[in-house]
Amino acid sequence: MSSIAVKELYKTYTGAEEPTLKGLTFSFRKGSIAGLLGPNGAGKTTTISILCGLVKASSGEVLINGLSQDAAHREAIKQQIGVVPQRIALYPQLSAVENLTYFGNLYGYRGKGLKARIMELLEAFGLEKSADKEIHKFSGGMKRRANIIAAILHQPSLLVLDEPTAGVDVQSRSMILQFLREYNSQGNSILYTSHLLEEAQSLCSDVAIVDQGRLIVQGNPDQLIHDLPDCENLEDVFLHYTGHALRD
Amino acid sequence: MLRLLATIRKEWQLLVRDKTGLTLLFLMPVVLITVMALIQDAPFKDYQEVKFDILTVDNDHGRLGRHIREGLASGGQFRIIDSLDGKPLTAEQARQLVNEGTYKISIIIPAGATGNIVSNANRIVNDISHRMGMSLALPVKQNADSLDVTIYFDPAAKKAFKGAIHQAIDNFLTQVETDMLLGRIRQELRRKDSSVTASNDTLPIRLQAVGLKEEATGTGKQIDVISNSVQHNVPAWSIFAMFFIVIPIAGNMIREREDGSLLRMKLIPGSYLEILLGKMLFFVGICVVQFYCMMLVGMYIMPLLDLPKLVMGRDAGATFLVAAAIGLAATSYGILIGTLFKTPNQALNFGAISIVILSAIGGIWIPLEVMPQKMQAIGHLSPLSWGLDAINDIYLRNGNIAYVWKNVVLLIVTGLVMLAVAGYVEKRRMN
Repeated sequence: MSSIAVKELYKTYTGAEEPTLKGLTFSFRKGSIAGLLGPNGAGKTTTISILCGLVKASSGEVLINGLSQDAAHREAIKQQIGVVPQRIALYPQLSAVENLTYFGNLYGYRGKGLKARIMELLEAFGLEKSADKEIHKFSGGMKRRANIIAAILHQPSLLVLDEPTAGVDVQSRSMILQFLREYNSQGNSILYTSHLLEEAQSLCSDVAIVDQGRLIVQGNPDQLIHDLPDCENLEDVFLHYTGHALRD
Repeated sequence: MLRLLATIRKEWQLLVRDKTGLTLLFLMPVVLITVMALIQDAPFKDYQEVKFDILTVDNDHGRLGRHIREGLASGGQFRIIDSLDGKPLTAEQARQLVNEGTYKISIIIPAGATGNIVSNANRIVNDISHRMGMSLALPVKQNADSLDVTIYFDPAAKKAFKGAIHQAIDNFLTQVETDMLLGRIRQELRRKDSSVTASNDTLPIRLQAVGLKEEATGTGKQIDVISNSVQHNVPAWSIFAMFFIVIPIAGNMIREREDGSLLRMKLIPGSYLEILLGKMLFFVGICVVQFYCMMLVGMYIMPLLDLPKLVMGRDAGATFLVAAAIGLAATSYGILIGTLFKTPNQALNFGAISIVILSAIGGIWIPLEVMPQKMQAIGHLSPLSWGLDAINDIYLRNGNIAYVWKNVVLLIVTGLVMLAVAGYVEKRRMN
């Protein structure tokens, strides 16, 4: 069964001359760590926004854990999906605990159960000593880790991460990647976008390279490298398919 | 309910950490209403409590001069000045001093003014007697030149002030002329009818049968509180300050959109409307607290600054309802601005300028009644004027919910329309 299945997805924003997505089709199996890769403007963020129900597709089909993105399943999908946006989607003036308590309350959790869950996650991410510190006083790496915690408070079976390690130090990145592997090992699916292709190669069991709103190629990173004799790593494969032209 | 309460708590946590926001919401309005009440206290007192010096040159030394001086002095609003440095004032001196602006007003009573009035009264009585077939010849002046009491005004004096003084002097003249005429008639009647004496003469009583008395239109004591600086400025600028909540709300919403927390909220199952409702309830609550804080300042701080005490109406429930309706309209406006604009700077500039315009046309700065007709019509479209009208209905007319419900409905409906527009714009963003 697929955790995510996208079929013939089209999206044209109001007022835009060209569609952002032009018949994008891919699927990732349940329990995998999948990478959605592509140059700037390829349509990754639009695809993720559609998967999360934040943006409506112009046409096409999206299935999350077998559920279609229609009104009847929208809430169920939201419960199953956890999103780590590229931006630190937390209130900078509130402490980590205050932020997590608020978002936990929005999920319907409260009391000792929520408190215990927050403390458990803060500990897992090495933030227990900064629990009461305001987010704006956190380092970049600490903010990224807190951002991930807010997305997994409700234990989603599909975690979507948009460049989760952008701008963080080596230690924080290592911790985040380690966490993702562990989370995946518990049977959860992960969809991950990044421009760090070495990281994607080591983390992902399946990658889809998209460009100009279309799928270019999909497969296991090692297999994709193997299929192209002149390519030694995922970055070579990426450049092979998307070219060297600069993207704005 | 948990989402709603959690949002209220979160907004509270954000507000208490935002020192600038707290200052903008609570301290600045208090300073604003205090400064405005102090500044506008003098103009409001112009025709009520301030005593004016009136230079009076009485060249008549008769009954008219005495009556005008006593009449002006009896009201307590004027101080009669008829000499300077121990020397009697001359007409030329008075004219010069008023022209220089040292004094606002001067009255010159010409010599022979009383004589002229007496002569005129005698002439009328002689005429009446003659027509009634009686022979009477009270003394009259042969050359009955008309004399004028001259008034000099400071060139900068306001039109309304001039009109009021004109009216008062004219009344004194009429009163003296009437008194003298009646006196002559009474005197002649007594002469003809020996049974009428001073003690049983009822003519003066009959003539005073209809008097003039000002009474309150409602049941309270509002005549005393109308048009003082505190009574206008405290509610008016409080409403202005309540609407300034659009700045923190719009900033709060744009920040949520920019930092991604709005996105996170939308990703969570459940209606975003409940979260928005929590936010609205919090800010409406803040508006209401703001309103009552400022009313307390009007009641307890203003008197310490030698200003009148704010008098609130008798219907506390109606006051609360109006305050909440104003808060709802202001909060909705903040949400609309926060939705429409992309950056805090755009929202700040548009929000602040639009509120200043809405307040100016809505009668916050100066009452709508003194504006040109067209501006009054436009002014009645401002939500700030609806709020002020409703508060005035309660405070000045001792009104209740029956007086204010229309304005309350207008405020609530406007708030809901603004929310609907914000919802529509937000929904369009998904496309």
